[in-house]
Amino acid sequence: MKYQLHPWLASNLWVLVALAIPAIFLIGALLYFTGWALAFSFTDLELVGRKAVNWSWVGFDNYARLFTRRGFLESLWTTTIFSFFSAIVGQSVLGFLLAATLRTQRSVLRGVIEATIMLGWLVPDIVAAFLWSATTAQTGLINNLIITPLGFEPVNFINEFALPVVIIANIWKGTAWSYLLFSAALDSVSREVVEAAKVDGATAFQRVWRVILPIIRPHIATNMLFITIWTFTYFPLIYALTGGGPGRQTEVLAIFLYKQSFMVGKLGYGSAISVAMLVIVGVLSLFYLRLLKEPK
Amino acid sequence: MSDVTLKNVRKSYGALEVIHGIDLDIRSGEFVVFVGPSGCGKSTLLRMIAGLEAISGGDIGIGGRVVNNVPSPQRGIAMVFQSYALYPHMSVYENMAFGLRLSKAPQAEIDRRVNEAARILQIESYLSRMPKQLSGGQRQRVAIGRAIVRDPKVFLFDEPLSNLDAALRAQTRVEIAKLHETLDATMIYVTHDQVEAMTLADKIVVLNAGVIEQVGTPLELYRSPANTFVAEFIGGNKMNLLPVKGSASGVALPNGRTVPFAGSDLSHAVTLGVRPEHLERVGADSAQISGAVEVIEQLGEFAIVHFRTREGDEMTIKLGGAPDIALHEDIHVALDPAVGHVFDDAGRALRAPAG
Ligand SMILES: Nc1ncnc2c1ncn2[C@@H]1O[C@H](COP(=O)(O)OP(=O)(O)OP(=O)(O)O)[C@@H](O)[C@H]1O
Ligand SMILES: [Mg+2]
Repeated sequence: MKYQLHPWLASNLWVLVALAIPAIFLIGALLYFTGWALAFSFTDLELVGRKAVNWSWVGFDNYARLFTRRGFLESLWTTTIFSFFSAIVGQSVLGFLLAATLRTQRSVLRGVIEATIMLGWLVPDIVAAFLWSATTAQTGLINNLIITPLGFEPVNFINEFALPVVIIANIWKGTAWSYLLFSAALDSVSREVVEAAKVDGATAFQRVWRVILPIIRPHIATNMLFITIWTFTYFPLIYALTGGGPGRQTEVLAIFLYKQSFMVGKLGYGSAISVAMLVIVGVLSLFYLRLLKEPK
Repeated sequence: MSDVTLKNVRKSYGALEVIHGIDLDIRSGEFVVFVGPSGCGKSTLLRMIAGLEAISGGDIGIGGRVVNNVPSPQRGIAMVFQSYALYPHMSVYENMAFGLRLSKAPQAEIDRRVNEAARILQIESYLSRMPKQLSGGQRQRVAIGRAIVRDPKVFLFDEPLSNLDAALRAQTRVEIAKLHETLDATMIYVTHDQVEAMTLADKIVVLNAGVIEQVGTPLELYRSPANTFVAEFIGGNKMNLLPVKGSASGVALPNGRTVPFAGSDLSHAVTLGVRPEHLERVGADSAQISGAVEVIEQLGEFAIVHFRTREGDEMTIKLGGAPDIALHEDIHVALDPAVGHVFDDAGRALRAPAG
């Protein structure tokens, strides 16, 4: 079937052209920057000093370094743990459970929970980081309210459980998105279909697992796609909360990239890291997009 | 034994009571139709029998056992929903097999029962299709097939034909009647369509605003409606209701003429009811009621003529074939007391017409 232009548009083609200009600029800029990152990743360009001017092509040296030098693989592992627990397990599962349990409720509790998770979403990252470091500090709320009254020594959570604290903070920050998306998805499941499963003898768990989840599978895949991309490249909250430390315990790829590029100053190596991240996220996205498709 | 008994069944949503104490006995193997206007509580009642809605008061028994607190799957029922409610991610076969799979039936047994149901409904050729590749009528068969596979004691249908076009609805109606014949199971069928009710039911239950107005066979309801609500609701064409003055020997029409009813005291009568098909068109000299034609609905086989009497009442008469009458013309009718229904001021029938 041939694509047909709206008659009005066909006689006013300049409108189409005018509308396309910003899009062309945007796509052009994206390609331009990606192209530069790709080009830099084959050089030994540095932020300051002699190699900021007299850089040279180094072939795949930077990429080899990803695997031979300490840092990249460790950060990749930290990022994987961080993404898996905060996005896939935390935000997604928690968001789904909240959406599933709260949708039938019309109580004050629901209002309170919704307000809380929305707040997490709306609060700027830096403010959120401050809130979390204040509550988890040695003199913070959790120690004063729970740990000390129970007779334990106060704990400096950010020092001793850095990764879990960051993960929990990000769950709090991002659950609203999954909650909203799954609420909408569950609304699209016909009540009668769920009731038919009930009459057929499905337990509550079987109704969720064998009827509801398969029906909202495209929504799940879409959600996974978004939150994985966001979490995998997430930077501000973690950086403001821990700066990647203590040691390198919370040094996810985005922080590793930032440090290598702008603190160590190796722009070429940093570009190689960003290209590697792009490839990883791209592969994950392809996987989710396959999930989105209907099975045969 | 698969009779269904309702004893003083009530349902409230919060402070709002929508079912006000229903008593009903449904015998094993009977085809019972719940009929009534939208919002009268038909679906609610059916869903309470199915176990999808909690009962606020009274008892529901299936097969001699009170099932108030028995979960749906153990009630021995199967339900066909208005929206078909097929599982969109499963093939037709899997839709029908789902209940058996959940109860861990052996594969051979599942195969046998699904194929048997598919054969009865003639859907064998699309067992491997997905629901969205089916037409509305085919989906409806699959939904019925899913119910048959469960081999229930009681089938529950909630307006199963309302999403089908007129021709398919008539065809499926006949098929459901045949199915009842074949399976010999108790069937409870909800509809707001009185044609479905009349043609399918062994017994019709007319509901209105959460109470039963009347229970009876289709002919009983047609011939002797217990009140004006049933009189107007049952029957292909709405019954004419005229305000009258009752006396010991008959009723006086708005134009003063008296229709004599022998043998019954009608001094409390306030309404006379007569079906359009029971009015007789006569010449001006023997007219009991005269009026002017306002609308003619010509259906080929017969015509429904709407006219306004000299006293201002709207009435309809059914005339066979293509009657020789034009708009605004005068029309004269007579009615035989044998087919008249008489109601008191509460709308209750005072006498049933003979035959
Ligand atoms: N969940 C609910 N909460 C409050 N009221 C309800 C609820 N479900 C139904 N009702 C009310 O109960 C009454 C009966 O509803 P029901 O669905 O049984 O009607 P129905 O006879 O099936 O109508 P229809 O022919 O339109 O399907 C209606 O007045 C409806 O507003
Ligand atoms: Mg209904």
